[in-house]
Amino acid sequence: MLLSYITDNAARLLFLAEQHVELVLISVAISAVIGIGLALITESMPRLRHGLLSLTGTFLTIPSFALFALMIPVLGLGVAPTIAALAVYGVFPILRNTVTGLEGVDPAVVDAARGLGMGRNQRMGSVVLPLAWPVILNGIRTATIMLVATAAIGAVVRGPGLGELIFEGLARIGGANALNETLSGVIGVVLVALVLDLLFIVIAKVTTLRGIHV
Amino acid sequence: MSEQPTSSTDTMIFLDGVSKRYPDQPKAAVSGLSMEIKRGEFVVLVGPSGCGKTTTLRMINRLVEPSEGRIWIDGQDVTHVDADRLRRGIGYVIQQIGLLPHLTIAQNVALVPKLLGTPKAKRLQRAEELLDLVGLEPSTYARRYPRQLSGGQQQRVGVARALAADPPVMLMDEPFGAVDPIAREKLQLEFLRLQERIRKTIVFVTHDIDEALRLGDRIAIFAEGSRLAQFDTPLEILTNPADDFVRDFVGTGASVRRLSLLKLADVISISTSDAAGLFRTVEVNLEQTVHRALERVLSAGAEGICVKLPTGDSRFISLQALLTAAAQPERVTS
Repeated sequence: MLLSYITDNAARLLFLAEQHVELVLISVAISAVIGIGLALITESMPRLRHGLLSLTGTFLTIPSFALFALMIPVLGLGVAPTIAALAVYGVFPILRNTVTGLEGVDPAVVDAARGLGMGRNQRMGSVVLPLAWPVILNGIRTATIMLVATAAIGAVVRGPGLGELIFEGLARIGGANALNETLSGVIGVVLVALVLDLLFIVIAKVTTLRGIHV
Repeated sequence: MSEQPTSSTDTMIFLDGVSKRYPDQPKAAVSGLSMEIKRGEFVVLVGPSGCGKTTTLRMINRLVEPSEGRIWIDGQDVTHVDADRLRRGIGYVIQQIGLLPHLTIAQNVALVPKLLGTPKAKRLQRAEELLDLVGLEPSTYARRYPRQLSGGQQQRVGVARALAADPPVMLMDEPFGAVDPIAREKLQLEFLRLQERIRKTIVFVTHDIDEALRLGDRIAIFAEGSRLAQFDTPLEILTNPADDFVRDFVGTGASVRRLSLLKLADVISISTSDAAGLFRTVEVNLEQTVHRALERVLSAGAEGICVKLPTGDSRFISLQALLTAAAQPERVTS
């Protein structure tokens, strides 16, 4: 039975789930730094910005299995290639939403801030970014959920996380508990995605400044 | 740093041969414009769209950098000073208002004092004073957010925010353009009353000649290519338009509109007096406009006015004599 398999292997499953969460959060953090950074750097270079959007968008079309495998010659096996590949996938949704968020800030608000004597950094830090933040955060959320699923494939390069259960189970399908092992991996991935999604709802509530949604 | 090429200490803003050229446009947005604006004066820049009036306004606080020429504010050449610091010392109000939606009304008003390093308690107290000044009850509005206010209320906040650091100069770019006509007229009148108290030097852009005539001490009428067609008082513009462009721009009814700018004091000396008791009159004083006096005569079905003079005497003027006097442009504007 699946249920008894899960209770019997609770310690291992929890450990793998925890690894999975960590893996995703670290990768998303790297994607966010790159994605938001690129959007800010290209503030006055719309051509470059749209080029980067197309480029990072193209990354998403590389099958994840292939991208993980492509990392092996460069980074070997284990955690490093997994994080690298996931970070590459995460950049696009974050970059795209950051660009949308920045472009969505009312130009009149920025003009008024400038006219009242706010410098470039002050405008960015206390006007533009806070106003664009809900959209940017949504991009990070999308990237996170996407990476939870993709991270499972990381097991092909011996990456950490719940993918291990799925690949192990599939490799010996027909054997004792093979299906249960695979299924518990799948269920784990879904649960991790749900928990992280909830986490983002809380973060959005806490960090979105009042007044934006009144 | 050279001396301001004008000796008058009365001058607050001085534009000296200012031009703005954009690299991708063949024609200059503003070319060779010179203007002198006095301390405490309310100057309205008016003209058709694309005449360079907004560009001119935005060059004064260097939101647009002039390509040529110099700008002096209060005797200082501001063409090369730190732009952010310059702007903190100049009030700025725009049509779209541009309140920061994530800050409360009080925080919005206290924005410039905050940039200038005023302590928190002091700047919030200042914000409350200013909300009071523009007719918004601080206890009701200070903690609200911009989106909870109507357009007219938001623009009052915009004016309060521009006044927060008590700048001597205010730049206003069609500030009442986005509110409905009734609220606009109310805001205009309130603002005139406010200006009587605060006496700022105001540069105000509009495309609405009626607004310009109602508000300005002097009006600068811009023609195509930032040509300054006429820069004079509303009465003078209506009475003696400089050219056909000004005449067309002011539009029909200039002679009737003049009547609401003309005071009885302006016409009393040239009007012929009639003997008392000849006809039914309404009593008016010297400070009333000819327009108002006519309105009262017509609504009362009277035949003339009785003007109270400061000497205690009164003068009787028939409707005909009043109209004849009011129609003599060259003699009433000295």
